[in-house]
Order: sequence, then structure tokens, then C-alpha cells
Amino acid sequence: MTEPAPPPPAVAVVPPGDGGPAGARRTSPLVVLVHTVTFKQARQVVPAAIPLVAAIGIDGPGVVVALVAAVTALSLLFAGLTWWRTTYADTPSAVVVTRGLLARSVRTVPNDRIRGVEVEAPALHRLFGLVRVRIDAAAGTVAGSDEEVVVDGVPRAEGDRLRVSVLTHRRAARPVPAGADPSAAPEEPAEVELARFDPRWLLYAPLVASYLAVPLAAVGALSRLLQELPRDLRPDLSGPDLSDVRVLVVAAVAALVLLAIGAVLGAAVVNWGFRLVRRGGSLSAVRGLVTRRHTELEVDRIRGGTLAEGLGMRLVRAARVNALVTGLGAASRRGQLFPLGPRGEAVRLLGLLVDDPGPLRAHPPAARRRAVVRALLAGLAVAAAGAALQATTGFWGLLALGVVLTVLSVPLGLGRYAALGHAAGPRSFSVRSGLLVREQAVLQRRAVVGWQVRQTFFQRRAGLATVVACVGAGTGGYAAVDMAAADVAAFTAAASGPWATASGPGDRPAG
Amino acid sequence: MTAPPAPPVHEPAWQLSRSAIWLWVTEGVIGTLVYGVLVGVGVLLVPASVGGPVPVLRWLLPVLVAVYAVVAIGVRPWIRYRVHRWEVTAETVHTLTGWLTRTWTLVPVARIQTVDVTRGVLQQLYGLASVAVLTASSQGTVRVPHLEVAVAERVAEDLARRAEQVRDEAT
Repeated sequence: MTEPAPPPPAVAVVPPGDGGPAGARRTSPLVVLVHTVTFKQARQVVPAAIPLVAAIGIDGPGVVVALVAAVTALSLLFAGLTWWRTTYADTPSAVVVTRGLLARSVRTVPNDRIRGVEVEAPALHRLFGLVRVRIDAAAGTVAGSDEEVVVDGVPRAEGDRLRVSVLTHRRAARPVPAGADPSAAPEEPAEVELARFDPRWLLYAPLVASYLAVPLAAVGALSRLLQELPRDLRPDLSGPDLSDVRVLVVAAVAALVLLAIGAVLGAAVVNWGFRLVRRGGSLSAVRGLVTRRHTELEVDRIRGGTLAEGLGMRLVRAARVNALVTGLGAASRRGQLFPLGPRGEAVRLLGLLVDDPGPLRAHPPAARRRAVVRALLAGLAVAAAGAALQATTGFWGLLALGVVLTVLSVPLGLGRYAALGHAAGPRSFSVRSGLLVREQAVLQRRAVVGWQVRQTFFQRRAGLATVVACVGAGTGGYAAVDMAAADVAAFTAAASGPWATASGPGDRPAG
Repeated sequence: MTAPPAPPVHEPAWQLSRSAIWLWVTEGVIGTLVYGVLVGVGVLLVPASVGGPVPVLRWLLPVLVAVYAVVAIGVRPWIRYRVHRWEVTAETVHTLTGWLTRTWTLVPVARIQTVDVTRGVLQQLYGLASVAVLTASSQGTVRVPHLEVAVAERVAEDLARRAEQVRDEAT
């Protein structure tokens, strides 16, 4: 980073006895300015302020100026009080954050429950040389947003110190292997670069649904804003002559080009300068144009990864890789290791996370029949409903949709079947499925905490079964859909251990 | 496709308590009563002269309730009892549940995180309890429904103790 060094009064050490533990620190006072500008704390009083303002009424520029001044002063006051009452401390055993204006809250996260540390620098923070540190606690212990502890607004150097300190403490919190020197200096180990973003990869963005959604959402928000403007402020544009075909074609092409540019820009903002490095026992990813994010993942907790390819991405052989990390819970964004790039590069990276279990085995022909029949039945059902609707109300849209779906059902079913596959290697296994977004999960053998085998009535008749590997990471389960029922026991045993065949009856406890 | 296909995995050995049948029958009776009252009120309050699909619904809905009653009271409890199986071996907990869709769940004792015993209102009536074996995965939960209370408690205690002894990382 090339930002200017932060001013010296970096970290104020709070005298003990203020509720926090010894060595508690405050965030940088500069964060008061950031929060004043963003109204971070003052936002909470907005609902109360609106009726007040409505009662006073807004007439004349004087009142508006006074109002702006009052709101800014209020925001400054809240930000200052919050800064004054918030301290954090990284002790050898835990991270403690104390906050609250009147009702004090002390959050203690033991070091062995910390799953990762993320240092991010939003644009405004960067202006003041500040960063925000997010510390991920183990999921499942507390619900929702409480999974992380945020230390907002420390100088960059202090943020990096905190990250290294928390990570080294956490390593020390684990049992030291026999023969290792526990007093060995916890130095920052050498970095190994695993992946680096190539700006050319941004050209894939217009083919990825999630990036296409960015400009669409912007257009939606803009049009809503326009509609809420008072009528006399709206620009008085006479609409172009829509009856001319050439105008329509030009407009459509322009819209597509704008959409593509928007998608590329959106992808650039999120992924610019992406870099994945391995540093000792952790993986560290940096990305972002405006907000720089710095994510840390522990290699020991990685159980595998997923390789996802959307419909558009398959056309240009692009892919995305996510790591499956135990205890990360819903914070799956953190697990993203390779946001967007060529498939070969993605496969190479996935191979670094987990051994390649070998080529996937296709599922039996009965699975193909089932996929096509299901797609056909769905199309016919929509068509039948559409025909009934057409007969009663004359609306033909649903009928047309049903006919199109029925015609497309064979390629859809075949596409769904082509995605299916499973493989078990000596130390890992893999399953793949998905219609539009094809997702392949590659997991280590030790990741499996259980198996679930499902057979519907029709699967039983066709000799198929769906096998779900239950893992304590990612979505919690990854399925091999419609594999041959006769292969299930061999697959589960090969992918986890001999226990998975579950033979040999025990003694039922007497009632 | 003539012979019934072999199960994809080993069948667990033990059946549930026989009282489970009567509990499912009770559930079917309660469900039938609820639907019956709803449909009865509907038929009484909405006259056939409203038109549209109402004249058809006036006889279709009672027929559906009658079919539901036969299935939920007379058929489903017995099929469920024949399908449901469970087993605890030295290494695993294993269940087979379902009715039309069969689900086998298999969890090694080493990966068990917690074991819960719950007793619902109806279960207390029949002296039954359910055991839920939870793992780190939200999808890897083994539920053994409707065991005798004494059996459920013994199983839960035994599993919790053994999980404590052999637990590796549990994730």
C-alpha cells in the first residue's frame, strides 16, 4: 500500500479499570471524522427525528442550514461518544471488545474460536489511513451477525499488528506438537503466491449472472429515484419514435453494451488486484478497488472446495472456486478463493486445496431417462395449466411458455444429466450436479460427518439413489444425485471409511 | 423392473416401539378432524349457487378428506412402522425413515456433537421419546422417532459417553 503514514497519535492505551481488561486500546480518533461524515451512529436517531422535523416544518433556506448543522453536530457527538466508550484488547487468550454508551457490553472471543481475520479498507477509511478489522468467531455458537467482532477504525499498521497478533495467539492456543519449541518466535513466515488476478479476466464478467445483476440493480434504483422526484423537477423528455425499427435495434444494442460495461465495472470494483497467498498455516486473499478486503483462512480448517461454472461461464470455460471451511457458517463470501477466471487456473487452485480424486464417473442411463422425463413432465404440466387458462380467460402467455418448456425439455434434461457425476480417490472424493450453475464439490475424506441416502418411490423403481455427504462446512451437504443404487455402499465406504457400509448388527437396548 | 430392487445400503436392524403405530394413528385422526371441520364449515357457509368451481368443490373436498382419512389412519402408520428402522453399532448410528421416500442416515459415533432426547405432548401420552443425534453439519442429523422412553434415554446416554471418548475433531 502506498498511502501516507498515519499521524503519530495512533493508538491510545486506556488505563485499566475502565471496564475492559488491562492493555485495552482505543481505535484511532480519526474514526470520529469518518463516522461523522457517514452518520454511522446518528442514523439510529433518524426515525425519531423525522416527526420532529415534520412538526417544525421546513421553510426557508435558514432552517435547512440550521438543520444540516444540527444533524452534523449530533453526528459528531454520537461518533465521539462511541469512540470514547469503545475499547478493544487482544490478550494471549482472547479478543475483548467493550462498547456501549450507557449499557456496557463486553464481548470476549476466545482465541481457539477464531476462524479468520479480515482487514478491509473502505474508501473513506483509506483517506484517513484507517482500516476495519473483522474477526470471525466460530459459527453456530451465536446466531446471525454476532458471528463476527468488528474493530472499526484503527491505523493500517495497527490493523496489521492486530491481525498478526490474533493469528499467532490463536496458533499458540493449540497444543504444541511434541518436540516443537513452544517459545519459537512467531514470525511472519514467507509468502507463497497461489493466484493473481489478471485484468483480462474481467471480460468474463458479462457472462456471469451475479455481475450482470449489478448494472440492472443500478438501473432499477435510478428509475425508482426518478419516479419519486416531484413532477416539475423531472426532465421533460419527449420519448423517441418507437415505431422505427432502427431506433429499437440501436437502443437494444446500446443497452446490451451498457450492461456489459456495467458488469465489467462491477467485477472490477469487487475483484481488482485479487491476490491469493499462502503464509505459513493460513491462506490470505486481498481484493477490491474501492474497498480493499484482506481475508485470512486457516489451512487446517479447509475441508475441500467447490468449482462453480454458470451457463455463460461454461461457454468461455471460466470458473469460480470457493473453499469449504469448517465453522465458517453463513460467511461463505470469506471462502471465495478464486472469484472469476479461466477454468484451468481454477482447477489448478482447487488441486492445491484438496487432492484430485480422479475423473468423474457418469451416472447410469436410468438417471438420464429420469432427468428428461422430469423436465418433460414439468413442461407438460405448465402447458396443461396454460391450456386451461387459455380456454377460460383467453390468456395465451402461459400456454406458450409451457410449449417452449416442453420443446426444450430434452436438452434441459440432457444438460442436467451431463452435470451429474461422482468419484472417490484415495484421500478425497467429488460430486457434481446443477442445471444452470454446475457445481463440483471436492472434499477430503475426513470432511464427512455422516451420509444420507434418499430414494423416492420412482428412484426405487429405477434402481437409483441420491447420496448426500454431510459435512460441517459450506451448505452442510453435497449430493451425488441419481447414482446407481448398487454403487452406493461402495462409494460411501471409499469416500469416508469402512464404517460407512454399517454392517454387523449390535444388541438393541431393551426397553 | 419386476423384483423389488435391493436397498442401496445395509438395512438397520431394529424396529421402533409398537406404540408408534398408535401415535401415528392419533395424528391421522387429529389431521382428519381438522380438515373435516374446515371443509364442513366451508360446505355449510358457501352455497352452491355462487357458481364457478364451487359446485364441484362441494363434493370434491369431502371426498378428498375421506381419502386422506383412509390413508392417514388406515395405511400410512403401518407402512411407516414397517419401513422405519434404527441401529446403533460400535462405530455408527444408523436410521431408515420415510414412507414413500426412504431416507437412510448414517453418522459415525466419532463425529457426534450433541444428543437430544425430546418428548412431545402426544409422545408423553404413549410413553415415547425421540432421539436426535446432531453433528457439525446441518444436514447430518440423525433422528430416531418414537422409542420407549427408557430405551431413548439409555441410547442417548450411551452415545454421549462414547462420543466423548472417541471424539476426534468432530468437524
